[in-house]
Amino acid sequence: MKKIDKKVADSYFREKTRNMIIYFIVWFLVSYGVVLLAEPLSEFTINGFPFHYFMGAQGAVITFIILLFVNAKLGDAIDRKYGIDEEKNRQISSGKVLDH
Amino acid sequence: MDTQFLVSLSIILATFALYIGIAIYNKAKATSDFYVAGRGVPPIFNGMAIGADWMSAASFIGMAGTIMLLGYDGLAYIMGWTGGYLLLTFLLAPQLRKYGRYTVPDFIGDRFDSHTARVIAAICTIIISFTYSIGQLSGSGVVIGRLFEIDAKVGTMIGVVLIAFYAAFGGMKGITWTQVAQYIILIIAYLIPVIFMSLQLTGNPMPWISYGELVGKMGELDRELGISEYFAPFTNGTKWQFLALMFTLMAGTAGLPHVIVRFYTVSTMKAARWSGAWALLFIGLLYLSAPAYSAFSRFILMTKVAGSKITELPAWTKTWVDTGKLQVADGNGDGVLQWSELIISNDIVVMATPEIANLGMFVIGLVAAGAMAAALSTAGGLMIAISSSFAHDIYYRVLKPNATEKKRLSVARWSIVLATLFAGLIALNPPGAITQIVAWAFALATGTFFPALVLGVWWKRSNSKGVIAGLLVGLGVTLAYIFAAKYGGFTILGIIDTGAGVFGAIAAFTANIVVSLMTPAPSQKIQDEVMDLRYPEQMVYKNGDVWMNDDGPKSV
Repeated sequence: MKKIDKKVADSYFREKTRNMIIYFIVWFLVSYGVVLLAEPLSEFTINGFPFHYFMGAQGAVITFIILLFVNAKLGDAIDRKYGIDEEKNRQISSGKVLDH
Repeated sequence: MDTQFLVSLSIILATFALYIGIAIYNKAKATSDFYVAGRGVPPIFNGMAIGADWMSAASFIGMAGTIMLLGYDGLAYIMGWTGGYLLLTFLLAPQLRKYGRYTVPDFIGDRFDSHTARVIAAICTIIISFTYSIGQLSGSGVVIGRLFEIDAKVGTMIGVVLIAFYAAFGGMKGITWTQVAQYIILIIAYLIPVIFMSLQLTGNPMPWISYGELVGKMGELDRELGISEYFAPFTNGTKWQFLALMFTLMAGTAGLPHVIVRFYTVSTMKAARWSGAWALLFIGLLYLSAPAYSAFSRFILMTKVAGSKITELPAWTKTWVDTGKLQVADGNGDGVLQWSELIISNDIVVMATPEIANLGMFVIGLVAAGAMAAALSTAGGLMIAISSSFAHDIYYRVLKPNATEKKRLSVARWSIVLATLFAGLIALNPPGAITQIVAWAFALATGTFFPALVLGVWWKRSNSKGVIAGLLVGLGVTLAYIFAAKYGGFTILGIIDTGAGVFGAIAAFTANIVVSLMTPAPSQKIQDEVMDLRYPEQMVYKNGDVWMNDDGPKSV
């Protein structure tokens, strides 16, 4: 066990949280945002769909899937940057199975 | 006995044999395996299992029909049931995995160091999962009943026996691999008819791209008929109801115990992140196809069925009219069936469309097998959630801490059998439509677990009194709003019973925060444990400092 500088630990958490806030802003805009503006947005069409319908049926879902994969990938990159070893994580968490 | 019956029966029996075979092969031996599959399921397969767990009879049988009838307003289900995975994967799943408990009530009981909170959480789990499973069992009853032309009640009983069998003897491990198989069957069964219809109607084998132009065309047809356009927003409810329903479905997703427990089956926080991403990809395949399914079904009904002579209707109409789910009355007596004279229940759209589009016996049988996979897989996961709440959280952690592992396993199995039988009994005369029951389960999860878990993971100051107040107030407000909106006609901003979770969640967050602040903070140890959830497994938070663990489990 070695101690990590407080600043380093804080910046790990900050980076993760900042990314999460960005994901949630996008998440909000493509779902709630489009619903709130459904009437004006229905003037545009995309691939034959009125825009609000396209977002509800396809656009939002595809954005959600992309956000989750971006999060998984960037999450791994942040872990690597801070020297986290997934193999160690696995050992630690299998050792942490509670005794009951 | 006609050929269709034999074809459908063989397909269903073959898929059942596969599921049961996998369950027997993986027959669980130890309790740890029974609940969480030994924690070693790779993310991509765990993603498929989450998908099968997640997509129930409501998604498979009910959703496309709901969208067909509600038009744009039905899309709240599409966005709600997919967007919730972001709340789950960002805010809860990896953190709960690091905390490392078997069940959701276990987390709540240990995080807040309170047996009262544990028991309330276990009871909430049982209420939510039980409500949900009634819908699944009656869904499987409808499919079996319709298919074999027997009473839906007998069909429900067949479903009960199957679920009790493999949930009780396979445990989660059996279920994980069974659910992987079920996901594959159900997604094939859903995509084949959509792709065939797309080829039939547009000549393009990619339904996701081709149905846009049909949506536009149907708008023109609707204008000619003088009804509101298929894609026009908020024709079946207010904008606030749309938003409230969408929020309820999203937050409910993140609070459903049988979905969360899936994330305990992965090895690490990283694996939890990837499981969430794979799960939504696999779920998204069906959810992106459902609106296409609706559009094709509606287009076929509008152009091929409506407008035909009432005496020359195709053969499929008769069987479905007999079920009482389809009405084709010639109201104005001109001998022609108009669009307005065709009344179709949203529960039969997915099942009937392959017949309407004349896709052949194999496809019809496959759709029935897929619907059964959807109903059974979800019911299996729900039963595990119920049995672990009872056998683990109430029996072992509170009532009999000295019970042997063998005894606990037998209590878990018996609680599955009893819960399945009891849910089956209620499903014989369900208290509402399937989609309605499922929506209530989501509203209850939004009003109880979503606030309790989010505050439990992200706010170290939240304490046992706060969480108890939050759970009880959230449960009470959600239930009260459902009943007031459904039976009393009471609504706020046009939000009806299916959007009740919004009010439950607001009340629960408020109660949890206010009561927590008015009572003493949790112990330093608990606050440290909550801070620890911010970091990956290898980083450990202790007394205000973060430590890097390079020596493996021994030094923890």
